[in-house]
Amino acid sequence: MATDQGFMRRTFGDRDDVMLTLLDNMIWPILGLVLIGVLVLVPQTFNSFELILWGAVPIGLLVLAESLCLLSGHFDLSIGSIAGFSAIFTGMVLGTCPSCWGLTTNPWIGFGIILLVGSLIGFVNGVMIAKVGLNPFLQTLAFLITFEGAKTALQTQPITGLPSLYTQVGGTPRFAIGFMLVVFFVVGLVLRYTSFGQAVYALGSSENSAREVGIDTERLIIIIYTISGILSAVAGLMLTGFVGVVPPLIGEGLVFQAFAGAVIGGISLFGGRGKITGALGGVILIQVVQSALNNSQLIGATQIQMINGIVLFVAILLYSTQSKLRSRILASGAV
Amino acid sequence: MSIEREDLTVKNSTGSGDTDRAEMSKLRVENLTKHFGRIVAVEDVSLDVHSSEVFALVGDNGAGKSTLMNMLSGVHEPSEGQIYKDGKPVVFSNPSEARDNDIETVYQDLALMDDLDIATNIFMGQFPRTGFGPLQVIDWDETYERAETIMMERLGRDLDIKTEVEFLSGGQRQLVAIGRSLAFDPDVIILDEPTSALSVDATRLVQDTIDTLADQGITIIIVSHNIESVLKHADRIGVLFRGSLVDIKQPEETDLEELNELMTTGTLSSGRLDD
Repeated sequence: MATDQGFMRRTFGDRDDVMLTLLDNMIWPILGLVLIGVLVLVPQTFNSFELILWGAVPIGLLVLAESLCLLSGHFDLSIGSIAGFSAIFTGMVLGTCPSCWGLTTNPWIGFGIILLVGSLIGFVNGVMIAKVGLNPFLQTLAFLITFEGAKTALQTQPITGLPSLYTQVGGTPRFAIGFMLVVFFVVGLVLRYTSFGQAVYALGSSENSAREVGIDTERLIIIIYTISGILSAVAGLMLTGFVGVVPPLIGEGLVFQAFAGAVIGGISLFGGRGKITGALGGVILIQVVQSALNNSQLIGATQIQMINGIVLFVAILLYSTQSKLRSRILASGAV
Repeated sequence: MSIEREDLTVKNSTGSGDTDRAEMSKLRVENLTKHFGRIVAVEDVSLDVHSSEVFALVGDNGAGKSTLMNMLSGVHEPSEGQIYKDGKPVVFSNPSEARDNDIETVYQDLALMDDLDIATNIFMGQFPRTGFGPLQVIDWDETYERAETIMMERLGRDLDIKTEVEFLSGGQRQLVAIGRSLAFDPDVIILDEPTSALSVDATRLVQDTIDTLADQGITIIIVSHNIESVLKHADRIGVLFRGSLVDIKQPEETDLEELNELMTTGTLSSGRLDD
């Protein structure tokens, strides 16, 4: 009993408590600093904050998809490819370009097809990982390559002539931004207030323990990857609307930004820890940096990919430092 | 918690007295046998465990402790024999059927989620809910309140329920696992190697907790290698050898040396077996 008394006092002294809160919500002071830095160095970035948020919608949905996988102790390298492939496939069905299939012009069928394609690819990812036992890295890497290739196989020219309602969903800034915020809000609530959400955290913390307390982990993994596929497909729909056509390279390279956004937002690379609000902060940060790079006179378009890599590197460095500091503070009082 | 000698179970017992014994026992197994193919893991084991009793099952590796425990907790179905709970015959096809009969098991690996706090670990998969009709969400206030009640009132430990399990000591982790079993309000708790790999202080913490639970009327079955520990805290000790129950001893009538001999040879050189 004596060992228990004062455990909390020793572990979470006032100063440590503040430090832990800061570490758990590290994204917000970092975002504040970045916003100030961009405001001073590249003030023209904020000429249209709405444009920044609008541009953040597709990457936001991909960060959400990746965050869900990361929280469950898994990850998905194929989210960008799913976004791109589902957008191109649906574009081929709906488009009026010469090489398009042009099977229908009904936008509602288009919405159904893009969601179906995304969910099917996500479902197969989940089944291969949960039931067949494939390593998530290898499985999703295989699908990344497969669907990047499939995009090129289907179309090498921008797909045009899409139904206006189909492109308006992602092409109307306030609707797209509002949609993204609502999805973040709903996913945040689901993770916090439902048994499904807590099971995702449990799975990410320890798959064996989750199984032993009665969670159907195989089913859960399949559901998580299916949701990831759906969110990726919606990201593809939003990208289509943002650009107005379906470019052949749609979705390429976005997985790395999605990883960076999730990790900067405090989602653990090893599962079981992180908040969706933090991931939203990560999305805004990534997009502000991206917009600042695009608006900067000093950095050319050819250097942006390199800078993105550095941002990802800094994100991982920050995550590592945060984890070490957190463990040190908490372990100091453990008995 | 003293048990009259006459109440002690006689292994491989038969006859009309069995029904009476089954009725007075919290848990009774009768001629329980488990085969895995041609391997007989547990053979013809009969024993009674009384209400509020701390009953220890000891034995060497491969003696059948885990198989017997798994049959009581619903992981394995017996090949032959019958389990009685509160005098009524029961069949457990899976762990949830054992849980429905108020039997909870705390496995050796504890099945804890390190990144989650104590309260979430205790109620994972069985959160208190609030809401209207089909729209039910987790009631976090109720979750933390009930977790605090379990830790403070049932286990008598002042642990902050919002502490992540990762930062608890071995003994405290064991308490959280026991706390989770208490959330189902069981009257029998089976503990698999509860003091394995624990420090002296942590072992004492767990042993005190076991005594506290027994005082609250919960029947405890401990499956353990730690003979020293069970000698101090168990009311009776059942010794398994090569799948058979070779003896049931009271701690005051035996010692470490004798139990070791029973566990390793299945008999005593002096021939003192309490049949």
